[in-house]
Amino acid sequence: MNVERWRRRAAWVTEHVIPHERAVRAWLARHASQEDVDDVIQESYSRCAALESVDHIDRPDAYFFSIARNLLVQRLRRARIVPIEAFAEIDAYQDDLRPSPEREAGGRIDYGRMLALIDSLPERRRRIVRMRKIEGLSQREIAERLGVSESIVENEIFRGVQAVQRAWRDGEAEAEARMNDDREQRT
Amino acid sequence: MTRRRPSDIDIEAARHVARMDRDDWSDAQERELRDWLARDPRHSGALLRAQAAWMTFDPPRPAQAGQFDTPERRKWPSRRNLLAGGGAAIAASFAGALMLGGGTSYATSVGEIRRVPLADGSIAAINTASTIEVKLDDAARHVRVEQGEAWFQVAKDKQRPFVVAAGRARVRAVGTAFSVRRRAGGADVLVTEGEVEVWADGAEGHRVRLRAGARGFIADDAAIVQQPAAPSAIDRALAWRSGKVDLAGDRLDSAVAEFNRYNQRRLAIADPAIAGERLDGVFRTDDPEGFAQAVRITLGVPVDLSDPAQIRIGSPAR
Repeated sequence: MNVERWRRRAAWVTEHVIPHERAVRAWLARHASQEDVDDVIQESYSRCAALESVDHIDRPDAYFFSIARNLLVQRLRRARIVPIEAFAEIDAYQDDLRPSPEREAGGRIDYGRMLALIDSLPERRRRIVRMRKIEGLSQREIAERLGVSESIVENEIFRGVQAVQRAWRDGEAEAEARMNDDREQRT
Repeated sequence: MTRRRPSDIDIEAARHVARMDRDDWSDAQERELRDWLARDPRHSGALLRAQAAWMTFDPPRPAQAGQFDTPERRKWPSRRNLLAGGGAAIAASFAGALMLGGGTSYATSVGEIRRVPLADGSIAAINTASTIEVKLDDAARHVRVEQGEAWFQVAKDKQRPFVVAAGRARVRAVGTAFSVRRRAGGADVLVTEGEVEVWADGAEGHRVRLRAGARGFIADDAAIVQQPAAPSAIDRALAWRSGKVDLAGDRLDSAVAEFNRYNQRRLAIADPAIAGERLDGVFRTDDPEGFAQAVRITLGVPVDLSDPAQIRIGSPAR
């Protein structure tokens, strides 16, 4: 997969899958250890990467959920540690992530929250991420402007990527957004 | 050999994403990445996720109705250094906007629906065939709906009120979400979150507060008509934001008028007797053909698709 096509696929994941990851993780966590959940999630994303095309996928969140669920079932079968009734229970949960208007609304990225996350980074990282993402400067231009080496910029970007990876895993990005909504409704 | 933990793989993936984010991507780096991906099937998933997570920091793209594989990552114009100095210039550079009279003007053509992030963190979703002008300064945030309809998710900023003007109508919000549609004789306001204050220019003494779920019409003669609406009705009226027309017992003639806002190919009712028939369903704004077919089946009336300029519903009165 070339880099450009890769980025397009990532954009699809950004829009349609990542906002639902937290819900899928929460469901997986009822049946598996944290380590297994992380593995299944990574493997589910690998499946998304391997798809020839995503054009035919109508409900990416439900699709992602069913991949994760199938991987979990395989894993539990292989481990042979779960009584057979457990599978029935897992099947019963199949409808948990059925598309609903609420879920659709909740699955949008609150960009205000993303900005707040950027602003919570340590000063230099915050500046560099803002210049890269909001002002649209390249890493090289940022290095020139700040008078630092490009590898320093790349390293701060690396830390920035880690921060946003963590935020989506822990669901901070959504939880905070919901809190903001609540506040808004009260005022 | 100990199996590496998923979190360690995430860290490696983040490193690759940071490197791919540079603009001097070399063949050697491409090879290195390929080797890393080949080493463990989990790597591609971790990399895709890290890349996608990183992209959630990108300002939202304009919405494209019914499109799933998102268009190519936007390229910054080489003039960006001249435009630098704020998010307004950045928003302008990717929404294809024009700078006019100190403000920024955004226009959509028929059938186009565009989401525009504004420099203050607010978001505007602009419906078909609409023009809005945005002017943000230290004291206030002004938006003018010249034509058509737009929905705003307003970032909270108590120091700078967010005021939308549409003809004589004025809508003021602090941190809330609402839509404004300019019509003949006034403007429609639908509040989806929070609360707004509405009035007519020149009649500042008569102000009305509209809460989430309310619908108001501010007439050019300064009269304000309030209609409480069910949340579902508001959602339906704003279905255009995801490229849909959502009908729930709507009249055929009003549904036809709605589709005609979005399409060059017009729908026409050939038989006035069926204009008042009620319809339900969710359709794509850009699919008048699909809608016409649904009407044909539901009402059992003929539909003539032979003319590329228009679709005729019902048999003409004899």
